[in-house]
Amino acid sequence: MTRIPLRPLARILSARNRGENPDVIERENIRLRNEAVRDKARLRAEGRLLVLGVLFVAAFGAVGARMGLLAATVPVEPEVSMGGNSILAQRADIVDRQGRVLATNLVTHSLYAQPRLMVDPQGSAKKLVQIFPDLDEKRLVADFTGAKKFLWLRKRISPEQMQMVHEIGDPGLLFGPREMRLYPNGSLAAHVLGGASFGREGVHSAEVIGTAGVEKTFDGWLRDPANNGAPLQLSLDLTVQSTVEDVLAGGMKLMNAKGAAAVLMDVHTGEVVALASLPDFDPNTRPQPLVKGDPSDSPLFNRAIQGVYELGSTFKIFAVGQALELGLVNPQTMIDTKSPMIWGRHRIRDFHNYGAQLSVTEVIAKSSNVGTAHIALMIGADRQQAFFKSLGLMEPVPLEIAEAAAGKPILPKRWPDITTITTSYGHGISDSPLHLAAAYATMTNGGTRVVPTLLKTDKVQKGERVISEATSVKVRDLLRQVVVRGTASMGEVPGYSVAGKTGTADKTKPNGGYYEDKVVTTFASVFPSTDPKYVLIVSLDEPVETSGTEPRRTAGWTSVPVGAEIIRRVAPLLGLRPSVEPVATAAVTLAGN
Amino acid sequence: MSYLGYNVKTVPTGLRKILYVNWALVLLLTAVASVGFLMLYSVAGGNFEPWADAQMKRFAAGIIGMLAIGFVPIWIWRNLSILAYLIALALLIAVDAFGTVGMGAQRWIELGPLRLQPSELMKVAQVLFLAAYYDWLDPKKVSRPLWVLFPVLIILAPVFLVLIQPDLGTALMLLAGGGIVMFIAGVSWWYFATVIAMIVAVVFAVFETRGTEMQLLRDYQYKRIDTFLDPGSDPLGAGYNIMQAQIALGSGGWSGKGYMQGTQSRLNFLPEKHTDFIFTTLAEEFGFVGATSLLSLYALIVAFCIFSAQANRDRFSALLTYGVGSMFFLFFAFNMAMVTGLVPVVGVPLPLVSYGGTAMVILLMAFGLVQSAHIHRPR
Repeated sequence: MTRIPLRPLARILSARNRGENPDVIERENIRLRNEAVRDKARLRAEGRLLVLGVLFVAAFGAVGARMGLLAATVPVEPEVSMGGNSILAQRADIVDRQGRVLATNLVTHSLYAQPRLMVDPQGSAKKLVQIFPDLDEKRLVADFTGAKKFLWLRKRISPEQMQMVHEIGDPGLLFGPREMRLYPNGSLAAHVLGGASFGREGVHSAEVIGTAGVEKTFDGWLRDPANNGAPLQLSLDLTVQSTVEDVLAGGMKLMNAKGAAAVLMDVHTGEVVALASLPDFDPNTRPQPLVKGDPSDSPLFNRAIQGVYELGSTFKIFAVGQALELGLVNPQTMIDTKSPMIWGRHRIRDFHNYGAQLSVTEVIAKSSNVGTAHIALMIGADRQQAFFKSLGLMEPVPLEIAEAAAGKPILPKRWPDITTITTSYGHGISDSPLHLAAAYATMTNGGTRVVPTLLKTDKVQKGERVISEATSVKVRDLLRQVVVRGTASMGEVPGYSVAGKTGTADKTKPNGGYYEDKVVTTFASVFPSTDPKYVLIVSLDEPVETSGTEPRRTAGWTSVPVGAEIIRRVAPLLGLRPSVEPVATAAVTLAGN
Repeated sequence: MSYLGYNVKTVPTGLRKILYVNWALVLLLTAVASVGFLMLYSVAGGNFEPWADAQMKRFAAGIIGMLAIGFVPIWIWRNLSILAYLIALALLIAVDAFGTVGMGAQRWIELGPLRLQPSELMKVAQVLFLAAYYDWLDPKKVSRPLWVLFPVLIILAPVFLVLIQPDLGTALMLLAGGGIVMFIAGVSWWYFATVIAMIVAVVFAVFETRGTEMQLLRDYQYKRIDTFLDPGSDPLGAGYNIMQAQIALGSGGWSGKGYMQGTQSRLNFLPEKHTDFIFTTLAEEFGFVGATSLLSLYALIVAFCIFSAQANRDRFSALLTYGVGSMFFLFFAFNMAMVTGLVPVVGVPLPLVSYGGTAMVILLMAFGLVQSAHIHRPR
């Protein structure tokens, strides 16, 4: 680069010659030189600026692109991985035979604290105590300010409580979602449903496991994700169940009983339409089992299934039915009923003395122990046991409910003739109302074995044949006579042609022998007798009917009216139309004359 | 080349200066600040108290201050630049010695009712002083080692003082802002290449010394870096800020939830919702459209600074305007990048929008200098 001198000699000399100040030339040259330097700097700065501009634009672009990306994402709440597998919480609903909900799930929240995140432990503790008055403020403050990292406050809180805790606004108070089993109908069908409780508990969910009833039996199925949330459909009918429970509760109160049970079952399909046991409980707040005392005093005790009692005279129809089937007797055969009957060291009595002889029909209608004993002796122990077995009276009923296995019959250890005699009228052998329901269904449905079920099937069971159709018809007619003019006369329900058999059994003392004034009364009925559709067993524990001059405890005064009221109320619900009774079958009417 | 070398006769005088103010820039600043008022009103749950009201008053004061500074001839500011720098430096030393501790850092000096944050003042003073230095320095000498060392010291002294407060965000901004002024002034590429190589080496060293006796950063700063690399690792702890902010941004979607409808900020999920993280509230309530609109306003302000500087033939004025524009750019770029998760959380407020007195007033004063350069430019 050629440098222009600040004071070029030629120009200065010529300027001097013209009389001008040569310093002007120098100043001019300095200015030009400075401008050249400045322009160069500007040029360089502009290059630099371009680089910077590119950087700026890149930064703008990065931030803008990032914002677009974030705006396009679906927001996901952060989840803390607590390690281990997450607990599968979804549990299928349980519905009745019409699809109405019996058990479902509700999403609630649990409340826990992480004291390390808390902003204001003292203030939060104070506000928490206002929401949950049973919490202790001092203890809370101690927990919040101590070394604890984690603290459960509540396992289940209501939405209102959750909102209030939310409004405290402390980041250390946290909620975990959890599913809760909800039984919207409260205590309805409590014993069938059983209950559920929390199993493994995590912050983000808790496992719900069935603890009793069908919840326990079908626990695996209800939790199986492969079912795609399909509900478990039971054979129960919500409306019928509700009615049965209502009437039973009223009857229990009226008869001063300490407990009651009822089973309503379809005689052909074996579907249990209603199953009630009183006292009952609310499965939403399932009570704790009794630690001491008689477990049957707990409301958790299912009398219809676990309550095995000597069911008394209701068994007589089995001996008579078997004798009819074997051709040993016919309904008109006269049977010795001289009371007392002496057998070895034992004396067998009737409630009243019925005289020397009664027809088979009258033995059932009047419920003669002596007459039944004579018929049983004709059958003999082996055939009797085989018959009981074929009716399912010798083993637990395989119902799909956790408690079914506990309903184990109490059988005689040996089976001498005296056992044959006593079991024929229902003593010395203990079964549950459910056993009785199954046996009566078998006897009256045409003679084929029925096994009770709690699942909706709508399928007629084709079990093994126990008695012939003809015998089954005779049995129905005999049972019908019990209601028409026998011990169950209060069981008549106009239009529904109820047939049934009463049973009154003294309760056994814990250490042998019988109570004088404690009985279990049972009414086993089928309706309509012309073409049986349903069997209903009503059983009352220690009833006393006190409207008369002296207390009455027989089934005819206690269980039968309750059973009749149930039939009167549920028969229309079950879709049965009342009918005018046909002019009874000839054979029975003749015998009655 | 100094301004004194030019003819100053064409510079407007007296009240005529009002006509020469860069009014478009004033309008843009007001627009951005108004967005801030809206958001502060929203995060307070529809209240002027406690933030929006105070912020509006400060803005009004700041605008008046800006115009006052703008009417003072630029050469006076140039001559005062070394004084401003020294005062800011002295205040920084003072704040380290006996400042008020807040949020785990010592950043403020209490002056009666005023709370002064000298690190904010230093951002402007440093730019001012560097511009004056390069104006005075012969352009031929800018890349000579001795003449490079001096501005490096000018930058590093406050950076060091701010780092020990500790305030990593401001330190980084001082470093980057000073570097940009040096870059535009024409310092050789080689210096910048060397510095970048050194930064890489330092980052490496920082991670290598972690957990040893000699670790270079505080534990919480390491934690912030970890959180940046994987915010999901500790969503309830150190990653909480950024996770919640990104949820807010994501839930805003394209057009947002509507004004005053943002749940993340309203329900107190967001920490620092009225200061450093106010942008998330905006993004949640006005969505991508609102966020990019604000970004565009900022970009316009920076563009105005650059055009103004390019049109200015005075070296000091140009460098000062570039410097203030860059500082402003760094402010919001850092903040937005931080909130959107592009860089670690370093605690830089969103300029003119975030609640905060010192930052806003000082930023407006810096724009006052830009106005002064614009009004008194050689014509």
